[in-house]
Amino acid sequence: MSSFMRPLSAASLIVAGALAIINPATAQQTIKIGVPTSVQLQVGRDTQNAAKLAAEEINAKGGVLGRKLEIVVADETENPEQGIAAIKKLTADEKVNVLIGGYTSGVTLAQLPHISSAKTIYIGVGAASPAITAKVKSDYDNYKYIFRAFPINAAHQARALVDFINGKLKGELKMTKIAIVGENAKWVQDLVPILKKGATEGGTEVKLAEFFDTSTSDFSPLFAKVKDSGAQYLIVVLSHASSDIFVKQWHDAQVPIPIGGIDVKSQDADFFTRVSGKANAETVGMFAIRAPLTPKTIPFWDEFVKRFGTAPVYTGIGAYDSVYIYADAVKRANSIEPDAVIKELEKTDHVGIAGKLVFDELHDVKTGPGMQNLLFVQWQKNGERVVVWPKEAATGPMISPPWMSN
Amino acid sequence: MLQILIYGAVSSAIYAMLAVGFTLIFGVARILNLAHGSFYALGAYAAYVLTSLLGVPLFLAAPIAVLLVAGFGVLMERFLVRPLRASQLAVLMITLAVSLAVEQALFITFGSEYRNVPSFVADKLSIGGVDIGGQRLLALVAGVLVLLLLWLFIQRTRLGAAILAVSQDPEAAQYMGIPTNRIFSIVMAISAGTAALAGVLVSPFLTVQPTMGLLPMVKAFAIVIVGGLGSIPGSIIASLILGYSETIVAYMISTSWTELVSLVAVVVTLMIRPSGILGRRAAF
Repeated sequence: MSSFMRPLSAASLIVAGALAIINPATAQQTIKIGVPTSVQLQVGRDTQNAAKLAAEEINAKGGVLGRKLEIVVADETENPEQGIAAIKKLTADEKVNVLIGGYTSGVTLAQLPHISSAKTIYIGVGAASPAITAKVKSDYDNYKYIFRAFPINAAHQARALVDFINGKLKGELKMTKIAIVGENAKWVQDLVPILKKGATEGGTEVKLAEFFDTSTSDFSPLFAKVKDSGAQYLIVVLSHASSDIFVKQWHDAQVPIPIGGIDVKSQDADFFTRVSGKANAETVGMFAIRAPLTPKTIPFWDEFVKRFGTAPVYTGIGAYDSVYIYADAVKRANSIEPDAVIKELEKTDHVGIAGKLVFDELHDVKTGPGMQNLLFVQWQKNGERVVVWPKEAATGPMISPPWMSN
Repeated sequence: MLQILIYGAVSSAIYAMLAVGFTLIFGVARILNLAHGSFYALGAYAAYVLTSLLGVPLFLAAPIAVLLVAGFGVLMERFLVRPLRASQLAVLMITLAVSLAVEQALFITFGSEYRNVPSFVADKLSIGGVDIGGQRLLALVAGVLVLLLLWLFIQRTRLGAAILAVSQDPEAAQYMGIPTNRIFSIVMAISAGTAALAGVLVSPFLTVQPTMGLLPMVKAFAIVIVGGLGSIPGSIIASLILGYSETIVAYMISTSWTELVSLVAVVVTLMIRPSGILGRRAAF
């Protein structure tokens, strides 16, 4: 806080104190929700916007236990040191009651001990590494504060991808040879072995599996290797690396192999226009789209677009649901004491935007029919998004890249 | 094999475009310009603003972007660097400050989103079975042309001779009636212009982002250390070495190792031959 702000906040404290004496009911403190996220990125902006949207809706109905919700944001960037600073700022300075946010698994993992020592509930909405919630089981007393509401963890994602590989690629398109490329990051290292094992067991040959540095700017050697490997489909796993460069170079070199997988920045609503349509025929795993997944999906989606001018990315959906499940848990516990709220959060059974939200014994969001799932959505011409897998959710057929369909 | 030959040539040409300007301004004016990467980023952003926001056709936008950045370089040299020229350390600090300021200005103006510059050439070409995007080939051709023109300009024109003279001995050159300050401005314009051109040419197949200047800056620095600070032939040789070693590593070992190549090259050079391959000579 800058020095000229200090007298101001001191003054506001005095005013608040005075109000407390005059009217204890209205002077009730707000419930503070800390949002640590990468504010420079779409995932971060959507986290903030969606959390604010949920808080406003709850406040409009009278708040929680007669108290209003207040959102406080801190920038955790994609760097663990900044991430720890953000947690310290929110817990020590702002004294928030709950933390809702996160994006980079490496950052979240670094934050965990600090969250635990601050004894503050944390609901993750962005990072996918299973290691984050693994601590809940191994050291419950210290890490019971950690929950993940979004997205389903990397292991679940890997299984969904395996289902896409074995069901869609092998089952329907008769492709039996694939290559896997992913960025060198924690969640990908967690995911790729499961992917390889699952694909191989399903009868698909993994011709090549390679990691690349997140700062890679030239993918042509990688594409050449994939082409030489004889793979018929290229599974991509990236989030922090530049999806834009990857897809542009794939398109420009007219790599004769279709691509698809988990490509987080390709989930952005403006991705297609951002790469001048070069994402055409890329298939992207998404956690939610504008479809009646639950009765809440379309109303939320439209409201978000109306308010913020862009479709929400996955962290926005997670943040919106998380504010609600926290508020509900506080109501049920009739308290904001972490221990009481944790007990209630564990019992969460909430119809969210992407499906029913239920936690497992690791405080990790469950996947399965009716719950949160990974949908495979293909960018098609004019930036249309078509669900191609799972079969029961499909909204259209899968297309080949223009240079392959002659 | 042919893949490595072609893709290595593209990387080398882009690196050479970056490194030559960096080494030129050092060789002539003894300015170690840490804002060199900013020129690259500004070139790309100028092309983005002109094409995507103002609707200027690309073939027109590219030269405008290069000229704008060259102008920015001249202004920076005239008003920020020149008053501090007495101290090399001060020059180093002011160029570092400029690079940080440019990065922050881009952050504030455009946010951290990736931006897009359309391709000059959308076609894909096949050379001996190797597929290559037309835009990459254009970058290669343009890079070679720029280096050739620069060489002709310096070897064959009066202005080039003046630049050479200043690089050898600024004081003596001034006594001979060569306006050294004007030469510095011209060299800065060339240096900034070539970096901006590299930015304009690669942004269609890379992307445009506020921190995009950092990595090219590191690469240019590495190349210049390997090649010898101030030596243009040295930096061209080093560009080829680095461009090709990175491509070979990417093909033979793994893409995740490429970023290490330039660091290893720098360490090895500093250990074996600290002055670089063609160091201890003035430019040319």
